[in-house]
Amino acid sequence: MSILATKDTHVVIQGGLAGVNAARRMAEFRYMIKEPLNVSAFVYPPDAGKMNEVTYGSELLTIPIYKSVAEATSNHPEINTSLVYIGADRAYAGTKEALDNSNIQTVSMITEGVPERDAKLLGKHARKLGKIFNGPSSIGVISAAECRLGVIGGAFDNLVACKLYRPGSFGVITKSGGLSNEIIWICSQFADGITTAIGIGGDAYPGTDYVTYLELFEKDPQTKVVVIVGEMGGDLEEGVAEWYGAQKRRIKLLAVVSGFCQESLPKGMKFGHAGAKEGLKGEGSARAKSEALKKAGAIVPDTFGGLGSAIKSTYDELVKSGQVIPVPELSPADLPRLPKTIEQSMKDGEVLVTPLITTTISDDRGEEPLYEGYPASELINKGYGIPHIIGLLWDKRLISKQDAEIIKRILMLSADHGPCVSAALTTIIAACAGIGLSQAVAAGMIMIGPRFGGAVTDAGRWFKHAVEHNMTVDEFLGYMKKNVGPVPGIGHRVKSLRNPDKRVKELVSYVKSVGIPTPHLDFALEVEKVTAAKKDNLILNVDGTMAAVLVDLGFPVDSLNGFFILARTIGLIGHWTDQKRQGSRLIRLFDYLVNYAAPKRREVPPLQ
Amino acid sequence: MAKVLEGPGMGLLTKWGLLTPHCVVVGSAEEFDKLAEANDWLKKNQLVVKAHEALGSRFKLGLVKVGLDLAGAKAAVREILGRKVETLTIDQVIVSEAVDHKEEYYAAVKSTRDGADIMVANCGGIEVESNWDRVKRVSVEVGDSPTDQALQSLVEEAGFSGSLASKMAEFAKKLFACFDNEDGQYLEINPVVQRQDGELVALDAVTLLDGDAKFRHPDWNFPFAAEFGRAYTTNEKEVMAVDAKVKGSVKLIEIPGGDTAMLPAGGGASVYYSDAVVARGGKLANYAEYSGDPPDWAVEVLTEKVCSLPGIKNIIVGGAIANFTDVKKTFGGIINAFRKAKSEGKLNGVKIWVRRGGPNEKEGLAAMRALGEEGFDIEVFDRQTPLTDIVDMALTRK
Repeated sequence: MSILATKDTHVVIQGGLAGVNAARRMAEFRYMIKEPLNVSAFVYPPDAGKMNEVTYGSELLTIPIYKSVAEATSNHPEINTSLVYIGADRAYAGTKEALDNSNIQTVSMITEGVPERDAKLLGKHARKLGKIFNGPSSIGVISAAECRLGVIGGAFDNLVACKLYRPGSFGVITKSGGLSNEIIWICSQFADGITTAIGIGGDAYPGTDYVTYLELFEKDPQTKVVVIVGEMGGDLEEGVAEWYGAQKRRIKLLAVVSGFCQESLPKGMKFGHAGAKEGLKGEGSARAKSEALKKAGAIVPDTFGGLGSAIKSTYDELVKSGQVIPVPELSPADLPRLPKTIEQSMKDGEVLVTPLITTTISDDRGEEPLYEGYPASELINKGYGIPHIIGLLWDKRLISKQDAEIIKRILMLSADHGPCVSAALTTIIAACAGIGLSQAVAAGMIMIGPRFGGAVTDAGRWFKHAVEHNMTVDEFLGYMKKNVGPVPGIGHRVKSLRNPDKRVKELVSYVKSVGIPTPHLDFALEVEKVTAAKKDNLILNVDGTMAAVLVDLGFPVDSLNGFFILARTIGLIGHWTDQKRQGSRLIRLFDYLVNYAAPKRREVPPLQ
Repeated sequence: MAKVLEGPGMGLLTKWGLLTPHCVVVGSAEEFDKLAEANDWLKKNQLVVKAHEALGSRFKLGLVKVGLDLAGAKAAVREILGRKVETLTIDQVIVSEAVDHKEEYYAAVKSTRDGADIMVANCGGIEVESNWDRVKRVSVEVGDSPTDQALQSLVEEAGFSGSLASKMAEFAKKLFACFDNEDGQYLEINPVVQRQDGELVALDAVTLLDGDAKFRHPDWNFPFAAEFGRAYTTNEKEVMAVDAKVKGSVKLIEIPGGDTAMLPAGGGASVYYSDAVVARGGKLANYAEYSGDPPDWAVEVLTEKVCSLPGIKNIIVGGAIANFTDVKKTFGGIINAFRKAKSEGKLNGVKIWVRRGGPNEKEGLAAMRALGEEGFDIEVFDRQTPLTDIVDMALTRK
C-alpha cells in the first residue's frame, strides 16, 4: 500500500526536455518493479503531434505529445495525474488547465521559481475542487514497488540500494529534494524502507502541507511511521504538531527541523529554500517548531545525525511488538538490474561485435585527437608542422624536417594559379551564383582531373614503374606509347623550353640542393630532355615534377593527387572569399564568346 | 524575497495612489544641486537626507539627517555620499520632504498561506513595537479583495473614527491593491501620518516583493537589496550573477570572522550542515549551496569564492544523496577550483571534508580522494557515513 502515487496512477507530463528526462527516470523505476510504464502522454504545444522516445529496459517506447491536457486525456482516459515541468512564467496557466480537467485528480509541480501568488491561487483552486496540488519546487513522489512521479530517488543503482522494489513501513515527507533521498536511504539501511516519500517543495507556500499527507498516511495500514524533515520559517511544522497532538494517532511521528544556526547568525540572513525564513517577530524558528513537535508526542532528535538511530530504534520496537515482520533481503544476484549498454557489455567482454569500419590513422575518442598515436597538442608544442600531419595521416609516418620543408614548398607553389584555370573559374562562377563556401569549393574541386591538376598520381605511377623496371628513357617512351598514351606530367599548354615554368625550376633546384637521392626526379628530367627535343612544350610540368619528387620522398602513389588538391583548396577558398568580399553579382557567359553552331530556327512538325 | 529600497518602494506606493512625501534619489552632489533648481518643494520644505543603501542602524551611523533646509540638505548630501561603512561605499542618498504632522499610525499587508493579512493600528513609529496588541488585522484570501465594509470594520476595531476612519480604510485599500498587483510579500508603512490638510501620507515603508515574479513586472527596473542589514559583497554579487545565468542554483553569503567554510549541496541539506557546525560550537565563515545539477563551471566559481574566505581551517563539502545532480560533474568544478586555489597558496593549513552520494558518486568521490595524492589535506566519505558526521570530525580535530 502507499499514498498519492500508486499502482493505479497514470501520468501526463506537461513540459519539454526536463519532462522527457523525468519520464526516462520513471521508466527505469517501472522496469525495476516489472510493471509497464505509466506515462501515457506528454503535453507540450511546440512539439504537439510528435513523439518522445523513452527507454524501458531494452525497449524504446514512443509516447505521444499533445497540444492540450484535454486532448491528452481524451486520447488516454486512464490519465489521472499530471506532472508539471513548464517554465515558471507559464506554469500557472498549465497547472490550472490540468486541475480543471475532470480526469486529473493530482497535479505535482516540479517547476522552481514560481511566484508565490500563483502557487497560492493554484492551492486554493485545488482545494476548492477537492484535488491535490503538490509543489511548486517538488522533487516528486515515490511509492516503493508502485509508482514514481518525477526524478525523486535518483539513479537506478540508488533505487536498488534503497530497496525501492519492495514496500517498507516508513512514510517520508520533506521540503528538500536531496534530503528526501537521504531519508529514503536511511530508512532502507536502518529499517525496512519506505512506503511513500513525498517532496512538498521548499517554497514559502506549497500547495499542500504535511498534514494533507499525514491524514493519508494515517489511513494507510502499511505505513507505521512517518518521518518529516522540516525547516525554519512558515507554520507548516506547527500544523503538524497541532494535528499530531490533537488526538491519538496510529502512526508514529519522527521529525527533524533545520535552522538552529539562525540563532547565532546576523538577523534576517536568508538561508536555504525560499520558505526557510523566520517571521519578523521570531515565530517559525527551528527551536519553536522542534519544541511544538516534541510536545505533541513526536520523536525529535536534536540533530539530523540523530535521525538514523531514531529510525532504527523505532523500527526495532515495531519488530519487537510484532507490528512489522521483517522480509528476507534479496541476494545480490537477485537484485534488479538495468540492461547493459552495448558499450558496457563490450567492456565487460560479454559480446563480440564485428566493426563496420577500420581506421589505422587517427582516434578522437579521448581528450584530443591522436594522429597515428601522437597527441595533436604535443605535435604542436614540439614544433611539428602541417607537412608532418600530412605524413602521419597520408603515409602513417613521422617525416624528417628536410622532407617537411620540401612538402611545404610544394604546397606553397601549387596553392593558386589565378582565376582562369578551370577549378578557380568554376568556384568563382559558383560564388557569383550565391553558392556557399563548401559547395563552391567542391565545384572547383570537381574540375581537378586528368587534364587539370590531376595528373600527379598517374605521373608518379609511371615514373615509379620505369625506375622499378630499370627502363631507359627510350624503353619508357616506347612502353608508354604502346600501353598508355601521352606521358602524364609531361607537356604544358603555355610553358615551353624557352618559357620555362619557374615553379618547376624552383622546386627542382631546391630538391637538388639538399642532396637527397632523387632517382625518379632524375629520370623525369632525362625524359624531358628527349620529349622537349621533339617538341618545345613537352617539358616536365609542375604535376610531373611534384610526382617525381614525392615518389622520391617515399609517398604512396595513390596519395599524390592529394598534394595538389590540398594546395589548391587554399586558392579556391581565397577565390570564393574574394568574390564574397566584392559582393559580386551573378555572371553569365557573353553570347559573343559562343559559337552558335546549332541549326537555325525552323518550324516544329506536327506531333505524330 | 526581495527587498526594495525606499526610493523605488515609495514609487510603487505612488503608482497605486498612495500619497508619499516628495523625494529624490541622487548619486552626486551636483545632481542634487540641479534638482534643487528644478523643484520648488526642495526650497520650501524642511528636508530629510538618508543614505539610500540596505544598511541597518543608519541613524546610529550618522547616515540620517533631519530638520534641514536646502543648504543643510546640500551639506548633508556631500557629507554622506562617499562615506565608507565596512566594505560598502555609500553612493546614493535619498532626500525627502519632512511632513509636518501630529499623530502617527501604522498599516501593513503581509503574505500568508491563504492570501494576506491587512494590519492597521492607530499608533505608529516606535510606539507600535511596544503596543503590538493594538494592531488589528483582517485576512483576505488570495484572489479576493477586501470589501469596503471589512476595511471599515477593521479601522473601527483599531480605534479610528469619523472621517479619519474612512481615510484610513481607503489607505488600507490602496495599500492592498499595491501589494496584490505588485506581487508583494510584505508592505509596511510606519508611520502613516496625517498631513496638515488632513490627507494620510506614507512616511516610511518597508517593501518586500516576490523576486520570482519579476518576469511579469517590466517596470521593476530597480536592483533588489540584501535583507540582512548590509549590502552584498563583491563575491556574493558575482555568485548571484552566475546563479541568474544557469540552470540549477549556486548561492553564497559571507559571514566575517568564521573559520569553517561551507560548500554543501542542496537547499535543505546545507542548512543542516550549518546547524551541525553551530551545534558543535564552530563558527561559520559563510553559507553556500549548489543544487539542481548546475554546470561544473558555476560550482567552480562558487568554490573559488569559498576558498578565498579569510582565516578558514576547514571546508565542508557536504551533501545528501542527490536525485539528479551529477556528483562527478559538479565535483569536477570543485576540484578545478581547489587546484587553482592551492596553486595560489590559499589552502595552506585548510582541511577539506567531503561526504556525498548521487548519480556517478563512485567516480566523483574517487576524483576527490585522488586529490590526497596531489598534496591536499582531504578526507572523503560516501553515503555510508551519516550526513553531518564530517562536521563532527572536522570540529573535533586538533
